[in-house]
Order: sequence, then structure tokens, then C-alpha cells
Amino acid sequence: MAYVATRGGERAIEQAERLFREEIGPFDHSRVHEIKQSLPYLIDRVMGEASLYDEDLAALALAQTGGEMFEAVLLLRAWRTTQPRLTVAKPVEQKDLFTHRRISAAFKDIPGGQVLGPTLDYAHRILATDVLGGSAYAPEPVEAAEKPAPANVPSVSAWQAENDLVDLPDPDPTQGNEIPDLTREPLLFPAKRAHTLQSLARAETGGTLALGYSAMRGYGSAHPTVNEVRLSEAEIEVTHPDGRTFSAGRVKLSQAEVVDKKGEKLSLGFAATFGWNEVKCISAATLDLNSPGAAKGSATEEEFFLYHTEGVESSGFCIHFKLPHYVTFQSSLDAMRDAKAKKAAQSSSSATEPAE
Amino acid sequence: MLAVPQPSPAESRENQTFEALLWALSRPGLVRAMPGLGDADLLAALVDRECLVHAADPLLIPAVLKTGAKVAELTDADHVFAGTLGDLAVLDQLQMGSDLYPDDGATLVVHADLKTGPMLRLTGPGVDGTLDVHIGGLPDGFWQRRAQIMRYPAGFELFLLDDDQVMGIPRSTQVEVL
Amino acid sequence: MSLTTLTKPWEAMSYGFLDGSAKRELRRKTLKSVAVPGCQMPYASREVPMARGWGTGGLQVSLTLVNPKTRVKVIDQGADDSVNAASIRRFIARVAGTPTTMDTLEADLIQSRHRIPEEILREDQILVLQVPNPEPLRPVQPNMSIARQMHADADYGRMWLQLYEQIVRSGRVMQGASYPSLVHGRHVMTPSPIPRWDVPKLNMSKHLTILSAGREKRIFAVPPYTRVEPLVFSDVPYKVEEHGHLTCYRSGTKGFFMNEIPQDDGTSTFEVSDSEWGVKAIRKGAGEPVTTGETWYKNGEMPE
Repeated sequence: MAYVATRGGERAIEQAERLFREEIGPFDHSRVHEIKQSLPYLIDRVMGEASLYDEDLAALALAQTGGEMFEAVLLLRAWRTTQPRLTVAKPVEQKDLFTHRRISAAFKDIPGGQVLGPTLDYAHRILATDVLGGSAYAPEPVEAAEKPAPANVPSVSAWQAENDLVDLPDPDPTQGNEIPDLTREPLLFPAKRAHTLQSLARAETGGTLALGYSAMRGYGSAHPTVNEVRLSEAEIEVTHPDGRTFSAGRVKLSQAEVVDKKGEKLSLGFAATFGWNEVKCISAATLDLNSPGAAKGSATEEEFFLYHTEGVESSGFCIHFKLPHYVTFQSSLDAMRDAKAKKAAQSSSSATEPAE
Repeated sequence: MLAVPQPSPAESRENQTFEALLWALSRPGLVRAMPGLGDADLLAALVDRECLVHAADPLLIPAVLKTGAKVAELTDADHVFAGTLGDLAVLDQLQMGSDLYPDDGATLVVHADLKTGPMLRLTGPGVDGTLDVHIGGLPDGFWQRRAQIMRYPAGFELFLLDDDQVMGIPRSTQVEVL
Repeated sequence: MSLTTLTKPWEAMSYGFLDGSAKRELRRKTLKSVAVPGCQMPYASREVPMARGWGTGGLQVSLTLVNPKTRVKVIDQGADDSVNAASIRRFIARVAGTPTTMDTLEADLIQSRHRIPEEILREDQILVLQVPNPEPLRPVQPNMSIARQMHADADYGRMWLQLYEQIVRSGRVMQGASYPSLVHGRHVMTPSPIPRWDVPKLNMSKHLTILSAGREKRIFAVPPYTRVEPLVFSDVPYKVEEHGHLTCYRSGTKGFFMNEIPQDDGTSTFEVSDSEWGVKAIRKGAGEPVTTGETWYKNGEMPE
């Protein structure tokens, strides 16, 4: 049965996957552990884009996909979507964040102080090639400050609001299950505020940067000043069905406030995400800042940037073009040939007509 | 690799209920069998914590709450379990959705007699030509009022329950009282 | 009350992968989409273990519909053995324990990308079409909010204008696949990227068609016995691909949609796109007993 013998689809996909996995090789928990220990910022980025906070699962996803970030995020999202929702944690306020780093470009000094914290901002980016020659890379130990920075500091926008420089959004009293959840209901426009912030929180870092950067370069109406960017840990407080409140642990969190200085008051853009990822937060907050009144179809319009920074969707659609499209191609070819034939018939019939 | 998961009894029942509802709505006027007696099965298959439910029968409320849905006023509800309809007031308060979001139109579940009653002629999507059916147990003027209050694509969906039998009448169905 | 009363017994995976809440949402939206034929209903669209754009919308519908008795057929470009069809079929069977088939007549549920089988589907069958872009208005209006308003107003003027411009420029409508069609006289929908050959199969069909776009989070449907009319001007009739006269070089079957296979000598040869139909033709030729169904097209023509 010649026709049937060519049915290699099942075997082909099986073997193709084996080829991919062969390159990664077998692994066990020790590789997962090593990834988690050595690549915390990569773990953070993956957890943020997956909107799933679990370092072990994120490390596992990276191990399983050989570091193919889009695949790792998809793996985590697909796992996340099947998990039961036990409860909704209490809201976390900025002033309650355990702050590791918080800097402001708007003021020389701010209530709570500029806390530089962990950063490569002022590192000289020199590749430590001697490691390849056999030397160990041993960073100098941190010397603790005499007076530790305060763990909890208010947001810069809170001070600005007290001084009537900015209007903060009204506190949203929505609680628990009432909070709109992007993963359980469709994103429609104009988007609910919760959906916008959730969508930015799980946006793909590179895409967010690309669109945010276009706004920063001048394609947006607002030029951002970083009011504050903060790396912190948040206490996740949940309520037991018997009424007791307890901490379910801490998650790393980054957030950015950016402001625009046009008009009589500052306008505010905000974004936050799981894990420590400053580039994404500043970019996302810049998009948020630019979105009110943005032209339809511009990069700073909400519909435009929320759709196009969705990493799982955009990467999936991009790679789907590898799938066979020969039916659609054939259909277009047919129309094209027919149009060409019509044109040829038309010109030959006009050529045989006697000239005036 | 993981073993193939098996459906729980609840999952199987919800799946069967949905199959009945889907076919009922796809073929308006044709009666389908549900796995059990009406309202509770329909609730379990369709309703979740995202839903706002109105139930005329207080005995149905515990089943509504078990789904995580919120009990709502008729005018806000997306799923309305009206039991046996006494009058037409329910129809006037139903959500119809909008041209922009027709899916906001309510789903109305009513007990009726699917064997005897006035003869109706159905036309529209899902009906092969025309279909004559008998539906009893609804207040007088029900079908006329239904036609008056709906402006397609806004409207509501109707599931008629008779024991374990279900008939679906989507908003797209024209109903003529013969 | 304790935490355990709020949850359910642990399972490595829910039956059919999707959890109860995802299925219930999809059930509600599927019902609404049947009630308003051709109208795009938004849904949350959960992530599934497959990349977006690879049939995740169709897959979510299939996973919601199946039970261990549902016989599933999956095709891509008309072929059951196309790699992604094989992958989806394997996934559904793995998470739902469904029997599978390649025979259109045996299937209860057919998930397809870009084709409708050549054998007429029955009243008890459901066709699930994967949809990359659910919005027929996108070529004239990429903004989804504005396009939604246009559907609400049945404002299809720009759509018609685009078709008219193509006729003026090229002498015909240049739309290949995804031919925009008016459903139940009210909503213009994309039939998904099926060829023009397949669109008439949706008109007043016996089966239910559910179209689902996972990435774009929209679901819509064509119930049985529903009008589906390709947008055409009365003086420029709808034209399907000129495949009615072509013969499949492998199976000898004639009068169906074909794949064109370019040859080294610059010519083309053709093989039938519905692979299972081709297999049946070969088996028949070899004298095997084969059950074939009625086909939509007869002698390469769609009967009126």
C-alpha cells in the first residue's frame, strides 16, 4: 500500500523531538538545582512571563527546554492553567514591600533614601575570560553598611500626592475573587485596569522593551522620568478558611513608577512583575504612561501593546508559519493564475481588433 | 509518561449534559435526553464562579452556591433558573446582551411540557425547513413577548426542561404560534 | 471548613487536560456561539501544552467535547498524517483516552486545519476548525475594537469595497482561502483558511461546525441548516478553485481539491488533498471492500 506506507507523520515528530532532547541530554534534579542557584535573574524573567512564582518549576522548565525561553514559559503557563485556585492573597502595598533596592531619578534624595542595592549598573562589563583558563570567579564579599537601609519605604508617588504634584488613582476596594483575572476571562477593550496590569506583568521582556523603547525615543507622547524603580520581596498573606491569616512565603517583585511632566500635575505610569526585572518594569510603565489618548494602532495604544507583548501568543504564531500552508497557497495560486489568464485574454482580444 | 486520566463520575455527567445542551441548541425544537433531572445538571455543567445566577426555587440555591457562582437579581443574572413560569414578568427583566456583545444575553431555563400544548412552528438556523412542535406549561403570550423583546443579535437562549428531556430555543429561532 | 474542602482530590492531570472551570467557560461560550451563528464570542482561552497558533483553539473545543467514547479524527491540509495533525491526535488520545480514526465516516469529532473532508458530514458529527485569525475585517480594519463595532452595526461596506476594488484591478476577487461569508444573513465570518472549494460545504450543512481561535481568543459556530453565503456581487459569481477536472496521480480519483506537486521538468502533477479519500480510492482500486460516503462534489461540481 504505497499511499499508506508514506504515512510517516507520527514517527517523524517522535524522532524530531528525540533529536532535540538528545542535545540537552539526560538530566536529574541536580541540573535543576544548579540552574536555580546560578541563574536567578533568568529564573525571575521566566517566572514573570509565566505568571507563576515557583523557582523550582521555572528551573525545571529551563532544564527541560534547554533554555529555549519561549518554550520554558509556555511549559509553565500550560502547567499553571490546570492548577486549582485555592485562595486569593491579601493585596500587597508598596510601603509594605521588603525593599532591596529602590532608586529615584526624580529627586536627589527621597523619603527612605536612595537604596542602590544589587545591580550591575556601575559594573564594568568585562568578560572574565580567565575563568576559561581555569581560574575561579570569586566576587569580593559585601561589606555591610553601618546603618542598614530601611526595609520598608513609601512610594515616591505617595510623597508627590501629599504635595499635590500627582493625582493617585482612587484605591480599588475590589477583593478576592472579584478581582478580574486575565487568565480566566477574555481581554476586551477598553481593558479593565486589572487586566492591563496583569497583562504587562506577564508580558514578554524583549517585546515590552521594543515597544517601550519606541515610546521613549519619541513615538510616544510622554517622556518618562523614573519616579522610582524597586526590587523587593512581598509577603504573601492568605486567610485560612478558619479565619486565621498566615504568610505563605515571600515572592521577589519588581515595580516601576514613571512620570510625565507635562501640564500642571505629573501623570503616572506603573508596572510590576514577579521576579527582579527592571528593564521590563520601566518599559511597561512607560507604555502605561503613554497609553491614555494614544492613537489607534500606535505602539502606545493599549490594544496594540497588550496584544503584541504577549510572548506565548506572539512566539506561537511566529513559529506556526512553519506549518504547511499548501492548501491556502494553492487557493491563492488558483486566483492568481485565473486573473493572469483573464488579463491575457483581454489583451489578445484587443490586439485583434482593427486599429482605428 | 503519565497514564491516561479517567473521567470522574461528575466529569462524565457534565460532559453528557453539555452534549445534550449543545445538540438541543444546534437543532432547536428537537428533544434530547439529559443524564438526569434538569436544573442541577445544567448548573454543574455550565455554571462557575464567574457566573451570576438567579434561581426562582430556593431549594436550588445551595446547588448554585456550590458552583461558586453568585446569587444575583434577575436583571443582572447570566443564568436564570425560573422553574415553572407563572407570568411573563421574567422575560421583561432578562439580560439581552448588545449588538456589540450578544454573548451577554442570558440563558433562561424553564420547566415546560414538551409533549402536549399549543402547536408552534419553528424556523431558523438548526431547523431543516420548518419544524412543528408542541410546547405546553408556558404562560399565555410567551412567544409573542419573546419576539417583541429581542432584537437580533441581542436576545436570550431558552432551555425547556421536562423531566430529563431538554429542548433548546436559541434567539435565532423564529417561533410562530399556529 | 478546611483547605481540603475547597479543593479536589489530587490528579496528575484532569481528564482531557482542561480543568472543570476552563471547560465550563468554553461550554457557555460554545452555546452562545451556536445561538448567534457566525458571531465571534470572546473567551479566556487557556494555555494548553501546545504553542499558540498550532491549533490551541480547536484543541480546547475538542478537549471540552470528548469523552472516552468519542472517535476523533484530526487533519491538517486535508491529511491525517500531517505532522501537526499527528501531534494533536496523539495529544487528545493521551489526555482523554479517545479512540481515533482516519475515516471521515467513522469519526464523531473531526478537528481540522484548512480543510473540510470531501465526504458529506452527518447530523451526528461535529467539525472543529482551527482558526488563526477570526476577524474577516482585519484586512480593512486591524483594530479589534473598531472591527467589533463594525460587526455590531453590520457595517460591511469596506469589506464590499475591497472585493469591488479587486474585481476592478484584477478582473476577479483575489481572495484565496478564508473567503469572507455572510452567516444567517447577519454576521460576516471567516470560514477559517479553508479553500473556496470548501466554503459551500458549510451552507445548510447537516453537521455542526465550531470555529475556534485560541491565540485570538474567539469562538464562533455554524449550526446545521444555516445559510453561509460567500460575499459576491450578483454579476460576478463565486468561483471555487478550478480543480474539478484534475486527477490524483496516486489514487486516480478525480473531481476533488488537489495538492499541486511541482515536477523537475517544469510541469505539475496533482494529488488529492483529502488523504483518506485518496486511500479509499487506492483500496477500492485494489479490490478491497471499502465504504465510501456521498461526496459534496459530484463529477467535480457542487450540485445546486
